[in-house]
Amino acid sequence: MGVLDKLRLNGKVAIVTGAGRGLGRAMALALAEAGADVVAAARTQPQIEETAEQVRALRQGSGQALGRKCLAATTDVTDPGSVKAMVEAAVAQFGRIDILVNNAGGATEGMGKPLEEITDHEWRVGIDTNLSGTMYCCRAVIPHMLKQGGGKIINITSGYGLRAGRNNFLYTTAKAGLINFTRSLALTYAQANVQANLIAPGIFPHDNPALVEYWRGGQFIPMGRLGRDEELGPLCVFLASDLSSYMNGQIVVLDGGGLAGGQAPTGFAPVVPLEGEP
Amino acid sequence: MTAPEEQLSLRGKTALVIGASNAIGRAVAVALAEAGADVAVATTLASQGEEVAANSCANEIWALDRKSFAARIDAASESDVDALVQRAVSELGRLDVLVNAHDLPFAKPLTDVAPAEWRRVLEVNLTAVYLACRAAAAVMLPQGRGRIINIVSLLGERGMVNGGPYCAAKAGVLNLTRALALEWARSGVTVNAVVAGWTEGQELIADEELRRQLERYLPYKRLAQPREIATMAVYLASDAAEFSTGQVVWVEGGALSHV
Repeated sequence: MGVLDKLRLNGKVAIVTGAGRGLGRAMALALAEAGADVVAAARTQPQIEETAEQVRALRQGSGQALGRKCLAATTDVTDPGSVKAMVEAAVAQFGRIDILVNNAGGATEGMGKPLEEITDHEWRVGIDTNLSGTMYCCRAVIPHMLKQGGGKIINITSGYGLRAGRNNFLYTTAKAGLINFTRSLALTYAQANVQANLIAPGIFPHDNPALVEYWRGGQFIPMGRLGRDEELGPLCVFLASDLSSYMNGQIVVLDGGGLAGGQAPTGFAPVVPLEGEP
Repeated sequence: MTAPEEQLSLRGKTALVIGASNAIGRAVAVALAEAGADVAVATTLASQGEEVAANSCANEIWALDRKSFAARIDAASESDVDALVQRAVSELGRLDVLVNAHDLPFAKPLTDVAPAEWRRVLEVNLTAVYLACRAAAAVMLPQGRGRIINIVSLLGERGMVNGGPYCAAKAGVLNLTRALALEWARSGVTVNAVVAGWTEGQELIADEELRRQLERYLPYKRLAQPREIATMAVYLASDAAEFSTGQVVWVEGGALSHV
């Protein structure tokens, strides 16, 4: 079997959380193109329906339909009951789960506040959304992977999981927590043939012009540009495939070189406004 | 229970600081003397400008009523370094602390770096540290005690545009620190590193525009004073730090915590 054949995910089933848009959708599509059937899980029904439509519509270069299946499962990852129902629906539909991509997360109320202004509620929602949700999904999926004799877990952390930011408590704490959570997964299930790894994306503003403007098009990133959603797909496929069978508990950073220097020491000082500046 | 200021006191100890002509090395030498040590200081490049700086550093130490001498050496010369250590032992009576503050700043696009430049940058920033550690260990291992403190730039941990040779050398010092710490852990000789953040007086940031950007970006909105790096060296040189070895201590104003 050639090296590229091992990238194929034919016959596998992948759950992608936060699959309604952006990186989640891009990874769902990439996994499907590589051969997997997909469970697209997120809170917003119309968005995951759209992702599911796109998965089903995937075609080969020749125009022939790939015939990938996709289940759109409305899920709130911060609710363990909702997660359990999603995983049961996935198993009922496809009979197995080989790949779990924990991508759900993002900005929540209270981010950008100094610590003394963060409410108990904001803290819990922030940590639930960006850390506990991943735990609920792993806890629900791992028994199926153990029964099947293995699986792949890919958790999405961030440059903010490795480094911090001013007034950034909720997101940095949760994303850093994900890293050691994943290492513990890797150690615990290594002998059960479950591999757990992390992707730390840099700045991917998707199609949001306001974000592109805020990050000044990525001028301060060594490569001089922001990330493109479709650039994350191949890495996700790699980590979901047999090509990464000896890789466990590791972080792969995909950020145009941003963390290699940190912004200031590389001479790529940020052009975005800093706290307390106009 | 010994009072903290006694645990940190270096009274009765002797130190050798190589690279005392740069701002951080000089501040370390003076701080060690203020803490009570006799301190010999040496240059790294044997240049006349460096000799002037080292002499003025030695004078400052004498003014504190501590013994000192300034030596003009090429830190990459094995015989210079061996002779320097011997002189420190004979003039100061013993050698308890070695501080390697060697620094040859260098920045150039890699395609323009000549092999001779590469070798020189590695020689002064890395090989010279090995030579100093080796010479000092010949004294410290038999006496069953010693402190080696390597002063490193944060470019030992992160990359910088046009910084290839310099970054490689500084990273080398960090892992040399860890390796020697393990090698000598049971011989009473500790080896630690202090990583200095962007500091006043550093040649690499003489450029006004870069300096302005750094000041805007750094959490404290200012560069470090050399003195703020030196205090950590005093701690690591003292009895209080006896159980610390192979460690890298960051004094960078939080700069590396930031994405």
